[in-house]
Amino acid sequence: MEDYKFLFKVVLVGNAGVGKTCLVRRFTQGIFPPGQGATIGVDFMIKTVEIDNEKIKLQIWDTAGQERFRSITQSYYRSAHALILVYDISCQPTFDCLPDWLREIEEYASQNVLRILVGNKVDREDREIPAQVGEDFAQRHSMYYLETSAKEAHNVENLFLQIAAELMEQMRFKELPRYEQEQAHSINGRTTAIGDSCCSRLS
Amino acid sequence: MRPRYKRLVDNIFPPNPQDGLVKNNMEQLTFYSLSSPEKLDRIGEYLYQRACRDLSRKRNGFVLIAMEAMDQLLVACHAQTLNLFVESFLKIVQKLLESTEPDLQVLATQSVIVRFANIEEDTPSYHRRYDFFVSKFSSMCHNNHGDDATKDMIRLAGIRGLQGVIRKTVSDDLVENIWEPVHMDKIVPSLLYNMQDSRYLKGMEPHSPEPGEEKNSPPQLAETCIRELVGRASFGHVRSVLKPVLKHLDLHNLWAPNQFAIHTFRIIMFSIQSQYSYAVVESLMLHLDENSKAEPKIRTSIADVLSKIIAIAAEESVGPSVLEIINSLLTQLRTSVGREREPGGGEEHAYQEALINALGEFAAHLPDYQKIEIMMFIMSKVPYIKQQGGMDDNLLQHMLLKSLLTVGRRYNSVSMNTTFPASFLEPLMRMSVVRDPDLRLLKCSRPDAIFARKYVPELFHCLVEGLRLENNTVDNVEAVYTTLALIAIELACDDVLPDFLNMILDIQTGALDKTTGLTAAQRYSLHAVAISLLVLLPHVVIISPLSEYAEKVVAARQEQDLSHLLPELLVGYEVSQPPPPGSPVPQAALIDRQALADCLKDAGLDSQHITSTNVVPHRHSWVESAGVTLKGSVTDLTNMELDSASSTPGIQRKYPEEELTFEAMKRVLAESSVVKREAEALRQKQLNEAFRATTFSELITNNTTSEEESLQTKLNELFSRMASGLSTPMTPSPASSHSSTHKHQQTAPVPVYELLFPELFAY
Repeated sequence: MEDYKFLFKVVLVGNAGVGKTCLVRRFTQGIFPPGQGATIGVDFMIKTVEIDNEKIKLQIWDTAGQERFRSITQSYYRSAHALILVYDISCQPTFDCLPDWLREIEEYASQNVLRILVGNKVDREDREIPAQVGEDFAQRHSMYYLETSAKEAHNVENLFLQIAAELMEQMRFKELPRYEQEQAHSINGRTTAIGDSCCSRLS
Repeated sequence: MRPRYKRLVDNIFPPNPQDGLVKNNMEQLTFYSLSSPEKLDRIGEYLYQRACRDLSRKRNGFVLIAMEAMDQLLVACHAQTLNLFVESFLKIVQKLLESTEPDLQVLATQSVIVRFANIEEDTPSYHRRYDFFVSKFSSMCHNNHGDDATKDMIRLAGIRGLQGVIRKTVSDDLVENIWEPVHMDKIVPSLLYNMQDSRYLKGMEPHSPEPGEEKNSPPQLAETCIRELVGRASFGHVRSVLKPVLKHLDLHNLWAPNQFAIHTFRIIMFSIQSQYSYAVVESLMLHLDENSKAEPKIRTSIADVLSKIIAIAAEESVGPSVLEIINSLLTQLRTSVGREREPGGGEEHAYQEALINALGEFAAHLPDYQKIEIMMFIMSKVPYIKQQGGMDDNLLQHMLLKSLLTVGRRYNSVSMNTTFPASFLEPLMRMSVVRDPDLRLLKCSRPDAIFARKYVPELFHCLVEGLRLENNTVDNVEAVYTTLALIAIELACDDVLPDFLNMILDIQTGALDKTTGLTAAQRYSLHAVAISLLVLLPHVVIISPLSEYAEKVVAARQEQDLSHLLPELLVGYEVSQPPPPGSPVPQAALIDRQALADCLKDAGLDSQHITSTNVVPHRHSWVESAGVTLKGSVTDLTNMELDSASSTPGIQRKYPEEELTFEAMKRVLAESSVVKREAEALRQKQLNEAFRATTFSELITNNTTSEEESLQTKLNELFSRMASGLSTPMTPSPASSHSSTHKHQQTAPVPVYELLFPELFAY
């Protein structure tokens, strides 16, 4: 019998090929699919985590990075509790696009959505963006910052657990409606405003 | 002791999941649910819990059984008790959808579509939300499973799921609004994405699956689904469907080439409730506005799509929306013309063509009276530049006139028997191959042509003025001549005959006028045009003295070696002994005003107009009237006709059909309070009748203004005369026209027509 206290929707965005799908696969299935093809439209995964003995269900929407799917992916921002903006630390253009992504998030996502900047592929030797640069950028834009490697399972679990913990904290703090089993009507999540996100490192 | 409902539920599960649902026990459970409906929600909850447990233990066989039981209960039980049970049902469906296994996802969608979407609940569940379903189904529509069969299966399930949600929610205002952008922005792109993989785009997408022709391929189903969706859209919802469509086409670069865009919009146009179809056109137009900075190629494609669908909307468009559409098309055209000088002018031109094409398509499907309205409207947009016309303005004029022409052509091709034959436009067309003088000609003649019957004198004036322009080429002159000849054939009757003759004299005056800067060749051309028209005229309106006189003049010109004053028109006249420029043309070879007047008198017609030597101020009065507003000038001209009619009381009117036209005019006057359009339509109708009557009775009275076919024959003669006249300077028209006249005499024995059209004859 499965039960959960909270349901959070997490949406991953970022340029094509930065490793969004791999992060999700690593987290939900514990695998690193080599030669992962480009995501079409939107992919969906679910994972239940436990924090402070509370079960939290994470609905993870993994969006396509390709521009042509922008219309469908944008429509998923709105109901997100947390947005993970991913770039590839070994690829400068993916970092340069971040302001564009922030604009999109500004336009389509809920005002108080939890935003996390993730520099992926730290296993790569050919780093182009130093950690400090990424962190500064995150700080300037009031985001959390984390560096990960889906390939080596570095910080992936941590990323999602921290998000869950933070969201739960905000939920409790704000005493916002919960997605509890007893409330028969909440068959799925509801878009709720999440408290202001302050800038601090997650890990 | 476990509660009875739990035991009943437990009993439906066999020890081994392969054995399937225990049928007898399921019947017991169903019976129990029906007899104790208050327990139904607990049964649902318990089934849900069991299913969740089995799911987490990967005992999918039992999950399937639980689902089957739920489906059966859902169908069997009555609506009023179903509400809470449905919640449990949907929770299981969601659970299944959250699973990564394709089979379970497909199972979930089957339940949604087959069972849930079709049951009716009488208690609305305000709180039930569907955004997870929409999100998940949309995601499934984009499935990219490595195995094609699985991929198609999941995509199909996704589309079916969307279909189910749409059906469930669309008709019920009390449940969640599926038309919200948050849903439409997912549903529409998902469906389109599947459609674009179909045979229409075969080979265009790198990952297109085998385009299944069978009915249940994802593209087919997606198409069905979008038809259903669009068909249910009310006016307020059209926009929310179209917005994601346009965005999707933008993002996937599906405008150029635009087969898919056309395909999509056709589907939309054919499924949308017809009264809203113009909203689609409006949206597309708006999109064109938004893309005004895009590449011309994209814009051309959008305009092309517009032209493909605009016809479908035209029949439903009424009132201001018509002019609105025309107006925005013209605005686009203007902007485009302004841009043409920038690099990429060629593509810009294609864009303009596409716009004009759209305009034409639109006009083609409007009723006649609206066509006229549109032509007037376009005319009102043409900038009148005399002095400081820039290049842009000229181009714009050109484009607008071209649109006018397109509309006009549609107008004629649809209603052959109203005012003009289609071939009337051919010379106009030729004129529109623009050089500046052409522009002026076209501008003058076109709106007048619409009201040709009333505007004849003014029209003549414009054309004659056009003829006197110094930069005319042979082409221009020929075009004017053809126009005049056609007008003569179409409209000549006793009333306007003096005007015709005046016009001919005017042309000759123009040719003789030493103060103008015309070249000798141009002067000769004018002479030729004048005489040609004079020869033509008696064939249209039978006045034998006139005919004789015309032939006399022709003969005089031939005798005196002045054949250059006859057709064919040449750029340079290489006559063996070209008379020095300015040398007077012998009086006998000129058309004499008094002689013409005498001809008219002989025929028993009013010759006052023709004898008045004071022609020029007379003309000016007409020109002035042209400056008055449309309505005013119509009235004025009608008044003038009334005057001219009353000034000739002693003359017996030969043609009753002309009286009918006259009656129509009078009625238009009488009904001045009626809005202009209605009057317009009325007039149009009466002209129609009149023309039909004319066709008939003129055959009897042996007149040559005749039915379409013989008119065509005449036209062909005219054209061939112009073409074949090269070798023979002497116009062959008398002979051929005679023959055609003979033909009419032969084909018009009165008794036959009396027999054929007794009721018409009574007219």
